[in-house]
Amino acid sequence: MEAIVGQENQMLTLIVLAIGLMLLMSLAIVLFFYFSRRRVIKAELDKANLEIDHQKEMLQSIIITQEEERKRIAQDLHDAISSKLNVVSLNANILGEKDITSVEANKIGESIYKVTSTVLENSRRIAHDLLPPTLEKFGLQAALEELCEELIETQKFNLTYELNYTLGFLESNAELHVFRIVQELMNNTIKHSEANDLNLSVNTEENLLSLQYQDDGKGFEMESMRAAKGLGMSGIEHRAIILEADLTIQALEMEY
Amino acid sequence: METFEEVISLITYYFSFIYPLLYLKGFVSNGKAFKIFTIYLLVISVIQLFSKLVIKVWELDSNLFLSHYYFIFQFVLLSLFYVQLLRFKWIYYVLGLVMVFLAYQYINDPSLYFRYNAIGMFLTHVLIVAYALVYLYKSLDGKKEFTIVNIGIFIYLLSSSLIFASGNLVFNIDVPESFSALLIYINKFLFFVFQILIFTEWYRNYRKRKVIPK
Repeated sequence: MEAIVGQENQMLTLIVLAIGLMLLMSLAIVLFFYFSRRRVIKAELDKANLEIDHQKEMLQSIIITQEEERKRIAQDLHDAISSKLNVVSLNANILGEKDITSVEANKIGESIYKVTSTVLENSRRIAHDLLPPTLEKFGLQAALEELCEELIETQKFNLTYELNYTLGFLESNAELHVFRIVQELMNNTIKHSEANDLNLSVNTEENLLSLQYQDDGKGFEMESMRAAKGLGMSGIEHRAIILEADLTIQALEMEY
Repeated sequence: METFEEVISLITYYFSFIYPLLYLKGFVSNGKAFKIFTIYLLVISVIQLFSKLVIKVWELDSNLFLSHYYFIFQFVLLSLFYVQLLRFKWIYYVLGLVMVFLAYQYINDPSLYFRYNAIGMFLTHVLIVAYALVYLYKSLDGKKEFTIVNIGIFIYLLSSSLIFASGNLVFNIDVPESFSALLIYINKFLFFVFQILIFTEWYRNYRKRKVIPK
C-alpha cells in the first residue's frame, strides 16, 4: 500500500514539476522575443541615424558648393564689372572738370565707350554662365553644342563630341542637371587636368540616356576626390542621385 | 483572516466580470480583433458565473461539464482572434478540422461529456499556443496590437495545458484532496497573471477612447 502511495506521489510531483517547467519555458520564450525585439528596434534606429548622418553630409556639401559658387560670382562681378565701372566713373568725373580740351574729352569719351562695352560683354557672359538661355529656349542638345563650341573656341583643347539627344526626352529640370554635370566636367578638365584631348558623347536609346565624358589629363586620386566635399565631383554625384542615374567614375591614379 | 489563495480566488472570480465591462466600453470604436476578444472575455465570465451557480444554486454534483464549453468556446473565439491578428486564412481550416474531430469524439463516446476531455483540451491549447508563438514572432518588427494580451495567452495556455490534461488522472485515481487543490490553485494563480496582462493591455492601449476621424 505504501509503495503505491509513494508511486502516486512521485507522479504528482512530476506533474507539478512539468507544469513549472512549462511556465519557465513560456517565460523564457517571451523574454527571448522581448530582447530580440529590442535588438531589432535598436538596429533599425542605428540604420535611421546613419541615413540622417548621410543626409546631413549631403546638405553640408550642398551648402559648401553654394558658398563656393557665390564666391565665384562675387569675384566675377568684382573683377569684370565693378573695377571697370570704377574706371568709367573716374573718367566721367574728369569730363566734368572745366579746364578740359575737346581733344581730351573725345579721348576720354572713347575710353568710356570701350570700357562700357567690355562691361556689357562681361555681364552678358556672367549671366550666360549662370544660366545659359540656350538651354531654356532650345533644349539640352543646343545648349551642349554651344558649350562644346565655346570650349573649342578657346583653342586649348581638342574636343570631339557626338550629341544624339532626343528633344523632350528629359524634363527641363533634369536637362539642367545633365547640362550642369557636363559643365562641371569641363570645368574640372580646364582647371585641373592639363589634358589635351577630350571626348563627349550623349546618346538616347529607347528609355535610356547615356553620357560619356573622357579626357587624357593627369588623373586624380579617387579618395581625395571623395574627401573634397563641396567641390565639383560631389555636385556631379548629387545630381546623378537626383536623376536616379548610374554613375561610374574612372581615374588614372596620379603619378608623383 | 483569509489566506492568499482565497484572496486570489476571489479576485480572479470577480475581476473576470470587470474586464469584459472595461473592454465593452471601447467595443464600437475598435477593430474586429478587439470585438472578438471582448466576446471571449464575456464568454469566460459567463462560464465562471455558471460554475458557481451550478454548485451553489442548482446544487449539482459537479460543474465539470462546463469545461467542454470553456475550451471549445475558447478555441473558436481565439482562433478567430488570431485570424484577425495574423491574417492567415488557413486558421479557418484548422478550426474546421478540429471541430470535426471534437464532434466525432463526443458522438463516439457520449459519456465523455461527464468526464474531462483531456485530448481535446490539450489539442486546442497547443494550437492556440502555436498561433500565439507565430504572433510573437511577427510582432518582432514594429508595433502591433494586442502584444501584451498575446503574451498572456501564450503563458497561460502553455502552462495550464498540462493542468487540464492531467485533470482526468487527478479525478480518477485516489489523489489526496490537497493535491487537486494545489493544481486548482496553480491554475488560478496563472489565470490571475493572465488577467493582470489583460488589464495592462487595456490600461495602456485602450483606456482612452479613440477619436474616430470624421
